[in-house]
Amino acid sequence: MWRKLRRLGTAQLGDGLVALPNDARTKEQLEWIADEVLEAGGEATLWVARAGSVGQERGLAAAMADAVAAEYRAVIEGADAAVGESDSARRRMAARLRRELHRIAQRDHFPPPDREQAHRAVERLAAGVETSR
Amino acid sequence: MRWATRAGCHVDRAACAWLIRRFIDAAAEFVFVDDPDEVPDGVTPFDIRGADLSHHGGDCSFETMLHRYSLDDPVLWDLARIVHEADLADDRFDAPEAPGLDVVCRGLTMVRGDDDVLAITGPIFDSLYEYRRRALLLGKDPA
Repeated sequence: MWRKLRRLGTAQLGDGLVALPNDARTKEQLEWIADEVLEAGGEATLWVARAGSVGQERGLAAAMADAVAAEYRAVIEGADAAVGESDSARRRMAARLRRELHRIAQRDHFPPPDREQAHRAVERLAAGVETSR
Repeated sequence: MRWATRAGCHVDRAACAWLIRRFIDAAAEFVFVDDPDEVPDGVTPFDIRGADLSHHGGDCSFETMLHRYSLDDPVLWDLARIVHEADLADDRFDAPEAPGLDVVCRGLTMVRGDDDVLAITGPIFDSLYEYRRRALLLGKDPA
């Protein structure tokens, strides 16, 4: 269950308390997970809540953005490290990193600047721009 | 028979409605509700919290329906692979078709109401079914 919550990009607010920005999709995803917990005999309730202050909300959004930013940086490192490889190795790595970007996008609720950089790094790798220069 | 599901028909609900009309109840009528408590009496709910015909043990509602109605057509299970990944994207299956189907269904819910979404996705699932049926028969993607 925690793995599923992580995949959705939930923020951990406390012991057994997680949060996601509220939209139709995230609400439904959390509902299914809550139902699974109930089905397994556990306890789970879903609340629509609002932060007590703008600062608190921003802090939470920034922490969520930081978490995915680290994942984007790992993609950039992976792409940069593969730049000197053979054509086929670069292609394989680019395909793998594109899938990884797709997975990260699912939990990226507050896109950091690293997102754009990661996409550019992977496309650069795929196009072989660095080696053809 | 009347069936109820959550309003805002994304891929899993659209696929279930298609499955119901084609394989379970040709005369199915659908009602859309915002809350499970709004499901009218005598109506069978699906893909909504608390309903038996919904997510169970990591399965999406489409997979649950195939189990509950003992639909063992391999083409339907192949579609279930696509619907599961389009809905949950949990990498349980390899389904390269899923992200495209997800985007098409998501976009449809932005521009059309639920009745229209079901009317439009019906032929889409018919086509997917036929494509995958041929692919399974041929053992490769059809031309």
